[in-house]
Amino acid sequence: MKRLLEYVGYDPGRFNARWISGSEGQKWADTTKDMTEKLKALGPNKRFSK
Amino acid sequence: MNKVTENLRKTAAKLLQDKEVEMVIGYGLGSEAVRTQPVFITSPEDTEKLVWNSFCVNGLTKYLSDLKTHPGKLAIVVKGCDSRGIFRLTQDNIIPRDKIVVIGIPCAGQLSYTKLASKIDVSGQLNDVEEKGDDVVIKTTKGDFTVKKSEALLDKCNTCEHHNPVVADHVVGDAINASPTTDSYDEIKKYEAMSTEEKAKFWLSQFERCIRCYACRNTCPGCTCRECIFDAIKPDWVGKEIDVSENELFHLTRAFHLAGRCVDCGECDRVCPMDIPIRLLNKKLLKECKELFNMETPGSVEEGGSVIGQYRLEDPEEFM
Repeated sequence: MKRLLEYVGYDPGRFNARWISGSEGQKWADTTKDMTEKLKALGPNKRFSK
Repeated sequence: MNKVTENLRKTAAKLLQDKEVEMVIGYGLGSEAVRTQPVFITSPEDTEKLVWNSFCVNGLTKYLSDLKTHPGKLAIVVKGCDSRGIFRLTQDNIIPRDKIVVIGIPCAGQLSYTKLASKIDVSGQLNDVEEKGDDVVIKTTKGDFTVKKSEALLDKCNTCEHHNPVVADHVVGDAINASPTTDSYDEIKKYEAMSTEEKAKFWLSQFERCIRCYACRNTCPGCTCRECIFDAIKPDWVGKEIDVSENELFHLTRAFHLAGRCVDCGECDRVCPMDIPIRLLNKKLLKECKELFNMETPGSVEEGGSVIGQYRLEDPEEFM
């Protein structure tokens, strides 16, 4: 899915898949923080909107 | 009349006479010289309508899905590329293998209507096609035309993996000894190499033109869900209006539903009335599945399932 989205012109940072177990609280927090920062820098995605 | 057509008619007539099958699905002459159309033959006398020539571009396997409740067995004419669609349908449990009689025809490559129509007058009726070295002589009621085969060949035939059908109960015609071409995916690599902005611009200009006719879905031997997500109104998964963002969602979802299942017959591309290069999406996923899961082109062998429906310990886990 990530590869397909990149192929049609989405920034690689827009889509992320991570395996996080219910007991991995720190990994969850770090991943979401990291993603939020990257997405804020990219700005809103205007392609799936009307 | 060429030898293959003659043998094809004989084979079909025998199958119908012996009541082995109720219907033969094959190619008949079309409305223009360089077109054929699907024909559905139910009596031995009508097998005269069957033809085989360089214009049998349609993939017929999807009709098996439409006719799966037809009483008795169905015989179908397939080329190498379409024959993978047979295994797609049987693996997906759309139709049992013993309900189909496959008439396989080894195919050296088909000629493109679009490429020919710009070169010759196609409005007559076809009398005969003759191959002379690198040239093809197309004899029609509006005159004879000689074209270079390499200039008129369908693009997909240049990287053909199976000239000979992967499955056939009856083989009509001589097997083709060409060594299988391995697709290097050069075309896909070209699109992968573009910048994010270029890709977005290119693909949005393609998706923008889509009229949502669903011809790509309807012709696809892998698109056989009884209830299609794109038809569903409740819940309304994908908007029905023609709008670039809904169109994009349709195309990406359609491509992804076929990831690891697409048999690479190229029918989606051929049927698109807006010339959207749909196959580029499927081929990209095919390339990725081959690289990641070491998969062969789906439909090449009778047994097997889709890579996305299977789990193996050695599967790559980039998301861990």
